[in-house]
Amino acid sequence: MANIMNSLYNMRLLDDLSRQETVIHKLHPLIKLLTTVSYLTVVVSFGRYEIGGLLSLFLYPVMVFTLGELPVKPIFLRILLVSPFIIGIGILNPFFDHQIYLLGGIEISRGWVTFLAILIKSGLTVTAALLLIATTGMDRLAGALRMMKIPRIFVLQLLLTYRYISVLMEEVARTLRAYSLRAPRQKGVHRSAWGSLAGQLILRTFDRAQRIYEAMCLRGFTGEYHTGGFKEIRVWDLSYFIGWVFFFAVARMYNIPMLIGSLITGVIR
Amino acid sequence: MSHHKLEVKDLHYSYPDGHKAVKGMSFCIHHGESVGIIGANGAGKSTLLMLLMGVLFPSQGEVCVGDVHVTKKTLPMIRQSLGMVFQDPDDQLFMNTVYDDVAFGPRNYKLDEKEVEKRVLNALELVGILHLKDRAPFKLSGGEKRAAAIASVLSMQPDILIMDEPTAALDPKSRRKVMELLTSFKHTKVITSHDLDMIFEMCDRTIVIKNGEIAADGVTSEILVNAELMDACGLEIPLALQNCPVCGITKV
Ligand SMILES: Nc1ncnc2c1ncn2[C@@H]1O[C@H](COP(=O)(O)OP(=O)(O)O)[C@@H](O)[C@H]1O
Ligand SMILES: [Mg+2]
Repeated sequence: MANIMNSLYNMRLLDDLSRQETVIHKLHPLIKLLTTVSYLTVVVSFGRYEIGGLLSLFLYPVMVFTLGELPVKPIFLRILLVSPFIIGIGILNPFFDHQIYLLGGIEISRGWVTFLAILIKSGLTVTAALLLIATTGMDRLAGALRMMKIPRIFVLQLLLTYRYISVLMEEVARTLRAYSLRAPRQKGVHRSAWGSLAGQLILRTFDRAQRIYEAMCLRGFTGEYHTGGFKEIRVWDLSYFIGWVFFFAVARMYNIPMLIGSLITGVIR
Repeated sequence: MSHHKLEVKDLHYSYPDGHKAVKGMSFCIHHGESVGIIGANGAGKSTLLMLLMGVLFPSQGEVCVGDVHVTKKTLPMIRQSLGMVFQDPDDQLFMNTVYDDVAFGPRNYKLDEKEVEKRVLNALELVGILHLKDRAPFKLSGGEKRAAAIASVLSMQPDILIMDEPTAALDPKSRRKVMELLTSFKHTKVITSHDLDMIFEMCDRTIVIKNGEIAADGVTSEILVNAELMDACGLEIPLALQNCPVCGITKV
């Protein structure tokens, strides 16, 4: 159970990472948000069988990982966390879609191709979202959303939910620790304790969330979340954005891996 | 300056589950006073502070800050002049960095970012944790968290400082630091605690609460030595005033 708790305590890892000062971190939040949104749009726009074209889009997360000096493993773990949902959504495809699809001379069922496409697409979108948070931070992201004129109430909802997740996780960690200390020989939580544990947890997190909200109100919180001033958008920020959008557009229109492949084979001939 | 006066008239409060936590309290705290509110666990200290801050509203009676009643309408104004430090600093610190947390209040009052920075650095300097400004609050030690929580209230420059058990769960050095810090704050102070030695050192006046009622209200040095009263309220005479077990000197 120590494992669960460790990963829970690392909940705020993304916040920690977002405080670094790399090239990517220093970009204007709004630019990063817009870049991510265009990336997501392009990824999602790919058809069900277009795996080849999707591959070139891996470049974006790889670049952000490298330039943003982000640790791959912990972020990867977080992606795995949502993988059951993704697999759950995609797994039925191979059963329903039995048509044969030719991939480089090998016959495979189209269902598996769509499944793979869903897997890649979801992986890329989740990664992009996590990378955005890890390089920007939720507070600044909220500021950027507000700059895009997203209604205050939605942004606030998002922020408080995000806060509430860490509050909940901390309470979970505490409760589990208290439990495991008094049930040392047990693996996991015995089912007789599930009910009361879950009940306690909900009550306690509600309580804490309430107190945190009160503390916010006492310091003049009226619903608007101020995160301090923003720098201006520089030429460099803009060129970062335009550069990526250009790349995404090219990647959408041409199958880059295939182009490179035929180029190389062409040269060899 | 009358606007720093804090007055409570015949205050009653019951929790939604029917538990009567405050039963008819009245007192008046004047500008510049430092008042200790003591009482056993569950006596109603925290509830009283919540009522003062307008987090809870009394079922009967009223709270006045200066000449203004605490109501939903006057809350924004009231809260600019009252600053409250919570019992558990974890409840108060929720931003990603200490700096942002301390800046939270001033930013809500729409000060420009320069002034915010000035106030934040000032407050952090005052509590002696300037070097922690970029750290994450949840990773600090108990004493550092408390200092950060105090800074987050000081940055709002309140006229009245209200603190719920500021020295609870602190080691002796951190406790001493917090006490020095509070002593340096020259405005009106209201402090609840069962750290009676601290109250003895810091507060001129003490209000004793027992089961939601005021059991005594007067000069600290007279109240805290009243063994009978202390005992009846689930408290005891401060250690500093007790007879010394080692050298046998009788103090009281
Ligand atoms: N949310 C609540 N609901 C019901 N009763 C409460 C609640 N909070 C506190 N109480 C009760 O009110 C009384 C006073 O509590 P509190 O003001 O927290 O005491 P103190 O801070 O002096 O230890 C206690 O008896 C407590 O059980
Ligand atoms: Mg209390």
